[in-house]
Amino acid sequence: MSSIARPVFVLALCAALGVAATSNVRAAEGRLYPSGPPNGVAYLRFANLSAQPVKVKSAGGTLTLTTDGGHRVGEYDPVTPGSELTGTVDVGGKTAPIKLKLTQNELLTVVVTTGGDGAPLVTLVGDTPTEFNAQKAALALYNLDKGCKEATLEAGDGHAAVISGVAPDGVKRRLVNAVNVALAVACGAGGPGAVAKLGQMDAGERYSIFLYAAGAGLQALAVHDEMALLRP
Amino acid sequence: MNGLLAGLAILIIGDSHMVTNGYLITTLHNDLTEQGATVNSYGMCGANAGDWVYKTTVSCGKAERHGTKPVQIDREPRAQGWTFDQLVAADHPNLVIVEMGDTMAGYGQQQFPRAWIYDQVRTLTQRIAADHLQCVWVGPPWGNEGTSYHKTFARVKEMSEFLAKSVAPCQFIDSTKFSTPGQWPTIDGQHLTATGYREWGKDIAGALDQLVSQGEIKR
Repeated sequence: MSSIARPVFVLALCAALGVAATSNVRAAEGRLYPSGPPNGVAYLRFANLSAQPVKVKSAGGTLTLTTDGGHRVGEYDPVTPGSELTGTVDVGGKTAPIKLKLTQNELLTVVVTTGGDGAPLVTLVGDTPTEFNAQKAALALYNLDKGCKEATLEAGDGHAAVISGVAPDGVKRRLVNAVNVALAVACGAGGPGAVAKLGQMDAGERYSIFLYAAGAGLQALAVHDEMALLRP
Repeated sequence: MNGLLAGLAILIIGDSHMVTNGYLITTLHNDLTEQGATVNSYGMCGANAGDWVYKTTVSCGKAERHGTKPVQIDREPRAQGWTFDQLVAADHPNLVIVEMGDTMAGYGQQQFPRAWIYDQVRTLTQRIAADHLQCVWVGPPWGNEGTSYHKTFARVKEMSEFLAKSVAPCQFIDSTKFSTPGQWPTIDGQHLTATGYREWGKDIAGALDQLVSQGEIKR
């Protein structure tokens, strides 16, 4: 299981949550406190699938993602749904803008790769999970290879398909038993694959596997999803 | 005293249902004590699950009760809360009961904040699990509709069903099974009457007794 570096970059890309702390809540008449985060919550993270370190900058700070295994992917930070979030990504001195607006309960990953000229390419891949189960592990397969029409996540020596049919720039998610099983990503059934090293999964936790193209062929990056806690 | 819960040192933590005389900090605490358990109870009004892991201040009161002593209530507007670690160090429980749900269900909001609720719950259950403690999570009761708390029966049902899947390794006690929607009157849509808290406390204690009898909770 890959470890995740805790980024210094916090909640920013400009949007204020607009949420009062428990101690500052002004209750509606007769009501002692709100129930849940008053403006809803979405979650945003960044993933570096390029060959160089990536710097994500906003008015709120800078996040650096290295090329070192699990440190390629940041933690999910809570943000206010519906607010416009802006910033830039920088790879090797070349930049590209970011402009985002998330919907409530959305989990969005901003994936940074590079084009032939080395300029950063930004791909937004998100979903709104509805299944949560503390007795299962949640696996998500992200397909960031535009040449791979249908990405597949396979398990065990028999290459049983756990997740299949993920289109380019898409993601699919599935709840599975929390076991230690060999995983691999492939393009379609029987296609060339790459090992996704995840190790023992823990019940209740979430994991992401990124399929992407780099150098000689298919690459796979497996990470344990980390969430920063929002305390309204 | 039937002694069924003798051998259990119980830590109960909860929300505003645990912060006033006559609420669960009286009724449930008494019911468990009368069955032989040693009970220490704490309530923080308005607190979410994560607030028991990371320190917070509470704006609408906190309360504590130890054994057969009276309830101690603090209504200071910026009272310092407790952390779970602090309470475990002080009281050495072998069973934790978490009573929580109303502060997190998103009453009045169109969308159910499921990802956030899951992370709040998980933050607390993982801390409990790290201490290798048995735990039981009690979900919210029905309440009444049409008040400033914006509770709806549909959302209470949704929250109960979601908690049932989210609180493992804690056992889940579904309070909506104890009554029909609106059966227990409230003073404000969320907080029950004295009769309601006696019923709710008795039913939670009964459910706990079943878990002990079935061997799901070890004394």
